Amino acid sequence: MSEYFQDYVAVAAFAAFGLVLVVLTLGITYLVRPSNPTKEKVTTYECGVDPVGEGWNHTFIRYYIFGLLFVVFDVEAVFLFPWAVAAESLGVPGMIAVVIFILTLLEGLLYAVRKGVLKWE
Amino acid sequence: MIAAAIVTADWYMTLAAVLFLIGMAGLLLRNNALVMFMSVELMLNAVNLTFVAAARAHGDIGGQMAVLFVLVVAAAEVAVGLAIIVSIFRIRRTASVDDLSELSG
Amino acid sequence: MDLDYHALAPEIVVAATILLVLGLDVALPRRRKYWTAFAGVVGLTLAAVPLVTLALGGGPGARSMLGGGYVVDDFALVLKAVFIAGGYLVLLMSVSYIESDRYYQGEYYLLLLTSILGSLIMASSRDLITVFVGLELVTGPLFLLAGWRKGDARSNEASLKFFILGVLSTAVLLYGMSFLYGLTGSVTFEGIRTAGAGLLDSGAFRLAVLFTLIGFGFKITAVPFHFWAPDTYEGAPTPVTAYLSVGSKAAGFVGLLLLCYRAFPSVTEIWGPALWVLAALSMTLGNLTALRQDNIVRMLAYSSIAQGGFILVPFAAAAVTNDPLVIQEAASATIVYVIIYAFMNLGAFAVVIEGARRTGTSMIDGWAGMWRYAPRLAVLGAVFFFSLAGIPPLAGWYAKFAMFLAILRPGNPWTAALAVIAAVNAVIALVYYARVGKTMWMDPLPDGASDGERTARPMSGALALALGISVIFVILAGVLPFQLAGVFAEAAKVVTAGI
Repeated sequence: MSEYFQDYVAVAAFAAFGLVLVVLTLGITYLVRPSNPTKEKVTTYECGVDPVGEGWNHTFIRYYIFGLLFVVFDVEAVFLFPWAVAAESLGVPGMIAVVIFILTLLEGLLYAVRKGVLKWE
Repeated sequence: MIAAAIVTADWYMTLAAVLFLIGMAGLLLRNNALVMFMSVELMLNAVNLTFVAAARAHGDIGGQMAVLFVLVVAAAEVAVGLAIIVSIFRIRRTASVDDLSELSG
Repeated sequence: MDLDYHALAPEIVVAATILLVLGLDVALPRRRKYWTAFAGVVGLTLAAVPLVTLALGGGPGARSMLGGGYVVDDFALVLKAVFIAGGYLVLLMSVSYIESDRYYQGEYYLLLLTSILGSLIMASSRDLITVFVGLELVTGPLFLLAGWRKGDARSNEASLKFFILGVLSTAVLLYGMSFLYGLTGSVTFEGIRTAGAGLLDSGAFRLAVLFTLIGFGFKITAVPFHFWAPDTYEGAPTPVTAYLSVGSKAAGFVGLLLLCYRAFPSVTEIWGPALWVLAALSMTLGNLTALRQDNIVRMLAYSSIAQGGFILVPFAAAAVTNDPLVIQEAASATIVYVIIYAFMNLGAFAVVIEGARRTGTSMIDGWAGMWRYAPRLAVLGAVFFFSLAGIPPLAGWYAKFAMFLAILRPGNPWTAALAVIAAVNAVIALVYYARVGKTMWMDPLPDGASDGERTARPMSGALALALGISVIFVILAGVLPFQLAGVFAEAAKVVTAGI
């Protein structure tokens, strides 16, 4: 067998391992969990939206707001990674800068809470 | 052995140029505001790709830094844009730009 | 990380004010939200203090940070002072306007201050990333401010148009920047200037420069990238329109000055003709369209497009010469024009806000006979509109004088042609500015209007202060223009250094 195909043995082994892992976890939970199917539970899960009907039905505006908040805070985290890599050499001033940065984000979150957008009714 | 082509910075630049043009075409030709946003994102990603490829080619960190800022600004802009669309949708019940003609340009 | 906190103090104060305003907005009950406006005004006043100490104690040396990407020099200080003063005037104008609406207050000042912070950053930026961050900080909040009247479909539409064209211009600008970086391997203006000198024949470099110019063309509303402006100006709340036509425009010009004079001095044959065309088109089309407007806000929108064309004129002069003194004079003419324009245009908008409140209309005809029921407002209106037209002894004449001086200095046929176009346009502009004056002073009152009902409501103190500051500046700068120009010559020397 050439070296080229030997590389694919690793891929096959990885696929097999993945398959076994999935079967194993699902199998064990099947044996352990209580089975109590209700109408709500057996419907297809699609981010909480009712999957039946046409695609143009109304969605709560809340989804957008949650999505937006998530995206904004998620992306701000991008600035933490470069700092984390160089945290040691940046020392205390870097630490203070990052704390200010996070506190600023926290104030934004506080504003969102105060405006009531995180309340789900 | 399968012959492997050397992927140079030019490949990335070409891909970025194509992405940018697709995004530009989408922005100018489509009239759904959401699709227009996606097109803008495509253009900004083309920019990011160019920056990263150039940074790699030059062995310089500046381009990668630029990408971080572009990413964050793009996310903030999408948030702002969606907020505006939601606001319009509440009044007009449409996301089509063509229906906006209150202000004659 | 060695930051010069003294040099950064104005930005830090404004940033702290922003956080304080947001905090107050969260903490205060609705009926006491006016404290946010107060905090904003005080914060901006405090931010001006370090500017003075920097200008007096800084000496000639520039304070450079972040690897040369952020510099506080005379150019930055002068423009920061203008941005803070302009922001201050807009804040004062907003107070009564926002109070009369039912809408939220804290967010308004938060967004306005954020935009001002962005313009402060623009003035100091000396690399592509900082310019980009500054520019986005200026425009991002403005997308939301343009749509401030949430229940009004026109305001929403203004906001969406502005947003879509704004992000398109950002994408084009960034694409140009990414090419600049790819070709030169540097994000700083100095690096681009050094490496750019060796790329004169590179088509990609020329394209990158053009893309960057187009991106800025949108921000400064130069024709043919202006089409969002009149709609957005009309739909947005009037104080926001005032800020759009002055603050964000000035920030765009600062970016353009920095890029052309500091990053691209080697490719004048690219940006020279490009800006020549933009200047000629903006002046002519802006003025011709302004002539036909009935709505005063739309008229000011088109007139600000035309004024943007006048501001662009000196660039064309700087592009055709190698004489450093002429280039410096051109840069100085642009800076002086931007500053004088900022004050007189803000003043004109303050008059529009008050006039629209008194008469209940922003149609020019509705303002007929204003001198009979509001003589002081009619005088102020005449001052600002005639200053915009360039009539001595009001500040506008010196702005135009410096611009003509700069464009005639090189003695090149092309610049002479542009001077002729500018002269014709100055006359056209006089027609429509004078028309507003004539309506206010000479036309009879519209039918059914009595003097009494329009004198009842007094002007708010904040708006009166804004009008007072701008009128004092416009008259002082018009009477003592050469002292003013002396201050800005230093700034021009800094920005054109080493060409």
